[in-house]
Amino acid sequence: MCDIKEEPKFFNRPYCKISKISRRSTRTVLTHISQCVMVSNAVLVAIILVLITTALFTIRTTSSGLIPVSNASKVTNKQPTFIIAGPSESGKTSLFTLLTSDSLRPSVTSLEPNVAHDFKIPITTKTFTGRLIEFPGHLKLRNKLFETLQNSSNIKGLIFVVDATVDPKELTSTAEFLFEILQVTERFPNGVDILIACNKSESFTARPPLKIRSALEKEIERIIIRRQKSLETVNGAEKTDDDGNLQDEPQVFNLGLKDGFKFESLEGNIDAVEGSVIKKNIDRWECWMDERTVN
Amino acid sequence: MLEQFVVFTSGGQVVYQFNCLGKKFAETQINRFISHLLSSPTIHNEDSSRKYRIVEIAGNSNTSGGNKAQSRGFCSMYHVSRRPELYYVVTYAEQSLQLNQEAEETLQVGINLWESLGLSEGVLDNINGKGSRNERNCIDVLTDLEEELEKFDQYLKIKYEEILSRDNENSSSSIGKVDSKKKPREAKGKKQQQQQQGGGRKWGRDGTMEEINAQDSKALDFSENNQQAGGSMGQIDKDSFGKRTNQGDFLIKEIDDLLSAQKESYQSNEDKGTSAFGFLRKHLLGNKTITETDLKSVLDKLKQKLITKNVAPEAAEFLCKQVSLDLVGSKTASWTSVENTARESLTKSLTQILTPGVSVDLLHEIQQKAETRDAQGLKQPYVFSVVGVNGVGKSTNLSKLAFWLLQNNLRVLVVASDTFRSGAVEQLRVHVENLAELTDESHIRGSKNRRDKTGNDHVELFEAGYGGSDLVTKIAKQAIKYAKEQEFDIVLMDTAGRRHNDPTLMSPLKSFAEQAKPDKIIMVGEALVGTDSVQQAKNFNEAFGRVRNLDFFIISKCDTVGEMLGTMVNMVYATGIPILFVGVGQTYTDLRVLSVNWAVNILVS
Repeated sequence: MCDIKEEPKFFNRPYCKISKISRRSTRTVLTHISQCVMVSNAVLVAIILVLITTALFTIRTTSSGLIPVSNASKVTNKQPTFIIAGPSESGKTSLFTLLTSDSLRPSVTSLEPNVAHDFKIPITTKTFTGRLIEFPGHLKLRNKLFETLQNSSNIKGLIFVVDATVDPKELTSTAEFLFEILQVTERFPNGVDILIACNKSESFTARPPLKIRSALEKEIERIIIRRQKSLETVNGAEKTDDDGNLQDEPQVFNLGLKDGFKFESLEGNIDAVEGSVIKKNIDRWECWMDERTVN
Repeated sequence: MLEQFVVFTSGGQVVYQFNCLGKKFAETQINRFISHLLSSPTIHNEDSSRKYRIVEIAGNSNTSGGNKAQSRGFCSMYHVSRRPELYYVVTYAEQSLQLNQEAEETLQVGINLWESLGLSEGVLDNINGKGSRNERNCIDVLTDLEEELEKFDQYLKIKYEEILSRDNENSSSSIGKVDSKKKPREAKGKKQQQQQQGGGRKWGRDGTMEEINAQDSKALDFSENNQQAGGSMGQIDKDSFGKRTNQGDFLIKEIDDLLSAQKESYQSNEDKGTSAFGFLRKHLLGNKTITETDLKSVLDKLKQKLITKNVAPEAAEFLCKQVSLDLVGSKTASWTSVENTARESLTKSLTQILTPGVSVDLLHEIQQKAETRDAQGLKQPYVFSVVGVNGVGKSTNLSKLAFWLLQNNLRVLVVASDTFRSGAVEQLRVHVENLAELTDESHIRGSKNRRDKTGNDHVELFEAGYGGSDLVTKIAKQAIKYAKEQEFDIVLMDTAGRRHNDPTLMSPLKSFAEQAKPDKIIMVGEALVGTDSVQQAKNFNEAFGRVRNLDFFIISKCDTVGEMLGTMVNMVYATGIPILFVGVGQTYTDLRVLSVNWAVNILVS
C-alpha cells in the first residue's frame, strides 16, 4: 500500500501510528514520537522531517479524499497535453522534431518517449502552452502510452500518425493499435479527440485520408468481432481493480455494433487529415491542434 | 570499410550520422538493428569478452508482408551511454577480424570524441531543459551544439581515415604480425577461426590446419589493391590532399589531446554521497541521485524475491542488471525511496520482456490463410503443432485449443503424431469424443462419422497407430493432405513429449518441421518447472534449425503455482518468443490469453 509503511524498522512504529491518526491533531503525534524515540541530535532532525512529511501527507490525503496509492506511476498528469502516437515508421519522431524545432532531422525507431514541456502552439490566438509527448510505436513499447493515457486528465488531443502509402488492406495492425487506444480514451467522459494524420502525402502512392479513415473503421469492426470470439484474458480472480475495468471495456463498443462500427458513434471526434512532414506541409494538423486548444 | 556510424538518442533522434561509403544515410538499416535489439534483448548479452557488443542481423529475403525489398544481413557494434541515453552504433557488412577491429577502434574514438567535445553534457542539458528555448518554447536536443558537432564530424572523419590506412598497412605488411596480435582472441570460437581462413590459414577437408606460405597469402591479400585505389583518389587533387594531411596532422594532435584529457576527467567524477540527510533521502524524501551502492542491497532484495517466485537466477540477474543500468546516476522522484524507484524500473523491464514483439491475432491469421488456395485450388488448412517435454500437458492444451477453435465454427482435424507413448492415441480419441459431444449433442460416443473416423463433422481424429520417428513425418504429411481434401480449416498435431537435452530425441523435430511445415509451432511449458525452463525453451527453440523458430508458448498449470509465475519470465527471457496463452484449470474452457499487466503485478507484488 503506502510506501511509508515499508520503511525500515527505525521509523516503522511511530510512523504507522502517525498514519493512523494523521487526521487528528499533530500534537498527539508528537507525544507519541517522543515516547518512542530516543532523543539525540540527528534523530531530532529526523523527527522534524518526519513531521513535515506527515503534514504534507495529511494535506494530500484530505484534498483528494483518498489515500494516495504508492505506485508513483499513478501520479496524474494534469497539464494540457497533446500526444503523438502511431505505428512504427510512420513519421512520429520527425513530426515531433518539426513541431518543436521547425527543422527536419533523420530519425530512427524510438525507444523512449520524446517530451516537450511547455510547448507553444505557433498559430494560436491566445498563447497556449502545454505538453507534447511523442510515444514510440514499437509493439514492445506501447505500454507506456497506455499508462500515460490512463493517468492524464487533460488530454487535448491525440495525433495518430499513419503512413498513407500503406495499402488499406494491410492496415490491420494499425487499426488494432488505434482500437487499443480507443479502449482507453473512450473511458473518459467526453472521449479524446483523435486526428488521423495521414503522413507522407507527398508520395505518389498516398491514399486519400477519407479512404484510410473508412478502411480503419472497417478493420476495427472486424477486430471487435474477432475479440469477442477470442479467449478471455487471464484475470486476477475476483479483484475489481484496473484489470477488471479493462475486462468490461469491449462492451462500450458492442453498443455501437448494431450497424457496424462507426467513428461517429464515439465520444471523441475522429478526423482524418493529410499532410507531409518531409515537405513541412503540416499546417492543417497545426490548425487542428489549435482548434483543440480553444475548447 | 565500415558502413555507417550513427549516434542517436533513445527518443529516436539521430544526432550524428556518418556514412563511411559516402552514401545517403540509411535509416532502415538502423531501424532493423533497433527492432532486433528490442525483440531479443537478452540474447546478445552473453559475449562479455568484447569491449562493445556485436549484433549480427541476418538478411531476409522473404517477400511476405508489405515490403518486398530484399534486405541483406549486416553486423553492428554498439555502445549505449546512460546519461544522457545515447546509442553509438557502427554497422559493417560482416564479421571479420579486420572489420571488427576497425569498428571497435572507430567506436572508441567516436565515443571519446563525443564526450570530450562536451556534446554529451550539451545534449543532457538540452534534454533536462536547461538550454535556450526557441520560439516554440522548446529545447531541441541539439540546441547550441552546432559548432561542436561540426568539429566532431571533422575530427571523426580524420581519425577514421587514420584507422583505415593503418589497418590497410597492417594487413599488407605481414600477416604474421596480425596473427600474433590477435592471438588472445583466437579461442573465441569457430566463427572467427573460419574467418581466419581467408587470412593466413587453410583448413583441410579433414579438419587439419596448414599455414599458407607468404606467396599464397600475397595472392589472397587484396588490401594492397585497396590502398592503390585509395591512392588514386588522392591523385586527382594532389595539392589539396597534401594540404589536408598537414591540417590533419595538426588536428590529430588536438584530437589526441582531447582524448587524453578525457581520461582524467573520468576519475574526478566521483560522488561523495554520505551526508546527514542521506538516509532520509534514500528512503523518504526522494530527489536523490542513485549510486551503485544504494542499489546493491535493494537489488539483492528484489532478486531474492524474483527467485522465490520461480524466476531463474540467470534471468533475475539479467533483470537486476537492467534496473541498475536504468537507474544508476538518475534521481529519484520526490517522496519516493530508492526501493520503490527500483521496483518501478523492474516493472518496466519485466513488462518489456513479456510484451510480445509481434502482434499475434490467431483468428485473423487463420482467416487470411483460409482465403488463399494452393495450386490445385484446394483450401489450405492452418496447421498447429504442439511440442514440449513429457507430461507438461501437450494433449490437454491441444484439446483446449481445439475447443476454442470449434466454438468459432472452424472444422478441426486432430492428428495423433505421438506414435511413441502407449495410450497417446487413445487419449486423444477420448478428447475428440468429448469435443464432438460438446459441439453436437446428438453425437454418440464411440460412433464413427461418415468418413469412418472417430469424431463428427466438426472435429475428427486422424490416427495411424504406433511406430518410429519416420512414421511421425509420414502421418503429418498424410494428415495435411487429408485435411486439404476434406476441407478442414485447422490441423492440430500432437507430438511425443521429449527430453530437451537428448539430441537423439530432439533431432527428429527438425525434419518434422520441414516436412509438415506447421504455420505455428507451439511449445507447452508448465509453470511448475523451475530453473530448467530456461534450458527447455532454448533447446526446443534451437531444435528446429536456423530458419525456423518456435512461434509462441502456452504456459500450462498456472493454477497450480499461485504467485510463482517465474517460468513465464524464464522462457521468454531465454528465447524472446512471446507467451500467448496460459492454462488455468482442468476443463476445456480453462485457456486464457496472457495479460502482461496481470503477470507483472503478481511478480513484483
